[in-house]
Amino acid sequence: MMTTTSSTMMAGPTPILRVRNLSVSAIASGAKLTDAVSFDVGAGEFLAVVGESGSGKTMVARSVLGLLAAGVQVDAGEILLGDESLLKATPKRMRELRGGTVGMVFQEPMVSLNPAIRIGEQMAEGLRLHTQLGKPEVEAACVAMLKRVQIANPLQCMRSFPHEFSGGMRQRIMLASVMLLKPKLLIADEPTTALDTLTQLEVLDIMVSLARTDGTAVLLITHNLGLVSRYADKAIVMQSGKVVEAGEAKTLLRSPRHPYTKQLVDALPKRGNKVVGDVDLQPILQVKNLVVNYPGRRAGWFTKPVSNRAVDGVDLTVNQAETVAVVGGSGCGKTSLGRAMLRLNSAASGEILFRGQPMQDLNGNALHDFRMACQLVFQDPYSSLNPRMRVADIVAEPLNHTAMGHDDKMQLVAQVMEEVGLNKLGQRFGHELSGGQRQRVAIARAIVRRPAFVVADEPVSALDMTIQAQILALFAELQRAHQFACLFISHDLAAVEQIADRVIVMQSGKIVEEGSRDDIFDRPQHAYTRALLAARMAT
Amino acid sequence: MTASSNRWHFNAIAGYSLVGAIALIAVVAVFWTPYDPLHLSVRNKLQAPSLAHWLGTDELGRDVASRAMAGAATSCWVALLSVLFAVTSGTVIGLLAGFIRGWTDRIMMAFNDTLLAFPGILLALAIMVIVGANQYGIIIALGLAYAPMVVRVVRGSVLSIREKEYIEASVMIGNNPVVTMLRHVLPNCVAPIAVLATSMFGWVILSESALSFLGLGVPPPAPTWGNMLSGSRSYIQSAVWLGLVPGVCISLTLLGVNLLGDHLRDRLDPRIQ
Repeated sequence: MMTTTSSTMMAGPTPILRVRNLSVSAIASGAKLTDAVSFDVGAGEFLAVVGESGSGKTMVARSVLGLLAAGVQVDAGEILLGDESLLKATPKRMRELRGGTVGMVFQEPMVSLNPAIRIGEQMAEGLRLHTQLGKPEVEAACVAMLKRVQIANPLQCMRSFPHEFSGGMRQRIMLASVMLLKPKLLIADEPTTALDTLTQLEVLDIMVSLARTDGTAVLLITHNLGLVSRYADKAIVMQSGKVVEAGEAKTLLRSPRHPYTKQLVDALPKRGNKVVGDVDLQPILQVKNLVVNYPGRRAGWFTKPVSNRAVDGVDLTVNQAETVAVVGGSGCGKTSLGRAMLRLNSAASGEILFRGQPMQDLNGNALHDFRMACQLVFQDPYSSLNPRMRVADIVAEPLNHTAMGHDDKMQLVAQVMEEVGLNKLGQRFGHELSGGQRQRVAIARAIVRRPAFVVADEPVSALDMTIQAQILALFAELQRAHQFACLFISHDLAAVEQIADRVIVMQSGKIVEEGSRDDIFDRPQHAYTRALLAARMAT
Repeated sequence: MTASSNRWHFNAIAGYSLVGAIALIAVVAVFWTPYDPLHLSVRNKLQAPSLAHWLGTDELGRDVASRAMAGAATSCWVALLSVLFAVTSGTVIGLLAGFIRGWTDRIMMAFNDTLLAFPGILLALAIMVIVGANQYGIIIALGLAYAPMVVRVVRGSVLSIREKEYIEASVMIGNNPVVTMLRHVLPNCVAPIAVLATSMFGWVILSESALSFLGLGVPPPAPTWGNMLSGSRSYIQSAVWLGLVPGVCISLTLLGVNLLGDHLRDRLDPRIQ
């Protein structure tokens, strides 16, 4: 494997970054985090490092930057930036290189910009540290760079604070402040994982065009194979600290040779079989002309806050055993719609019918009965489980509201834990489980009472690709077994394609297109649907 | 890894032993002290520590060791009950204010912030005047004076916890608000409450001594560490042991309680084990 790596990658002129046989290990346990990793990145070249959480891909990036966590050390190998060995560089020299010659963009645009400092000052900070430019030149450079990342009003942007921007804009600003110093190498660690599909493309398109123009080498760390196929020239695939496959990105994805790469490629969502047949459909939950408001900012102390429409006149029917996907970018109202359907937030007007009965004005016992038949699965498996309860207790809790005896309960809990693939883990706490396992617990809690209707709000967006595939498969299987109706909320069309029967596309609180999955994916009518489909990462 | 867990182990043992020893002394003092802590003997006044009087005698010839033992019983009892009172009432109010929100919250917090604006000692003083200077008056006064701080801390944690998705999951399960509050919100507020309660224990002992100094504490001649400390002030140069003994007692108690508090906080948090 190592020989193929070298031969394919040594083709161009002297590469900007050469990593040779890099081995990193944890000092205390001696566990190898990366094992003899080698690769090259040339000027203007885009190399993707692909792998799941824990595969050691972030360790590689951190060793290049000299930012390994305490308790982790480099055992062997060499990292050459141009002709300079980074492992032998002094801390002072590393500080000069970091930011100046090697730029970095991190995953969370919410935390990588300092919320207390104006954008202009944050951008200027790097230039002041690494160059001798005067104030007017610094400002001119910032404005020019913000224009290049397509910020509409650069001067106003520089006077603003980070919280005034959306995630995508923040990540573009972050990119601008990094590229301002014209680094030779840009390291991007999962730069778009926290963003929705359309925004991901926007940010990466800009990143690629900036890098190409300035001749910057890019090292992209990601778990998303779709992004790799779309942007990367070369890719290396990592598993448990080892490079298992390396080569041209396109070839690697089209004809993977290593079993693990094959597994990753197979985990890319594919169109699944239809869950329901064409039997006569029974509507479980319907909404008619639903409007949901959320309070906006107050203009003055004594005026009423102006409300904004989150959901603006939506009609929707979900039939028994059917999966209806609601798709749209962040802020399109899809989450508000799902929550209003469960009466978790109140609708301003419109009707909600459950098995033909109006639900919008219920409260007390009647609302409780409705809740008994509905459930919700959340996006973030890290905050949806009470950290002080054991898994079995979490799954058993919904049964407290049924008339079941203790033994029956325990039996049902055991059965459901087995169904979701978690048997023997009942005595663990949530924090002792992986993200995928936690999401399984959340699903078990949702289905233990055999609900008729489940809202799944972005249930897989926080998970690795292979785990996503497993959770989606589990969901489909459970739905086949228990015949519940499902409203699947997602920004990720790939996941939707795998699981949905019908698709609803939302934009600014309104449904812009509705149809069967095949119609939407094969014959999209609305321009927004087409844009979303184009953003879907096809291999 | 091993080094830090050893240190934790050591801290926990130190905390348990200190608190255990003081509790033991306090219990013993109820039944037996070397001398009668109230017995005056002007002939023996201000004696330095000796074999007869291990820790010397005070300005009225009372045995300091006996008074420190009896003081442990009163001071710790007063501090324990005041802290329990403050924590219980503060937790209930903070939980309700943070969970119900709206006008309930606004009114409760406006009242609470008014109380918080007074220095604790001043508030306790005012309450003491109303309820009268006796042992139970002081418990009510100190408890009420320190409760607003607990309200603030609990309400803050409740506000952040109620936004977590597992709270919403509890609503979807069909739990009523009381169950949600007791099973899902309250247990996740325990860590800040435990930390606050243990540091409050120290403040309460000191406040009690300040009140005693002003003549509103546990009424003399009953010994508390606080009134022993304030009584020793005039003799700080001639009879150092008079201030040193209650001072060291208070310090050791606080150290023990704080170590114990840290340990309890970690034991109560499943994420750290």
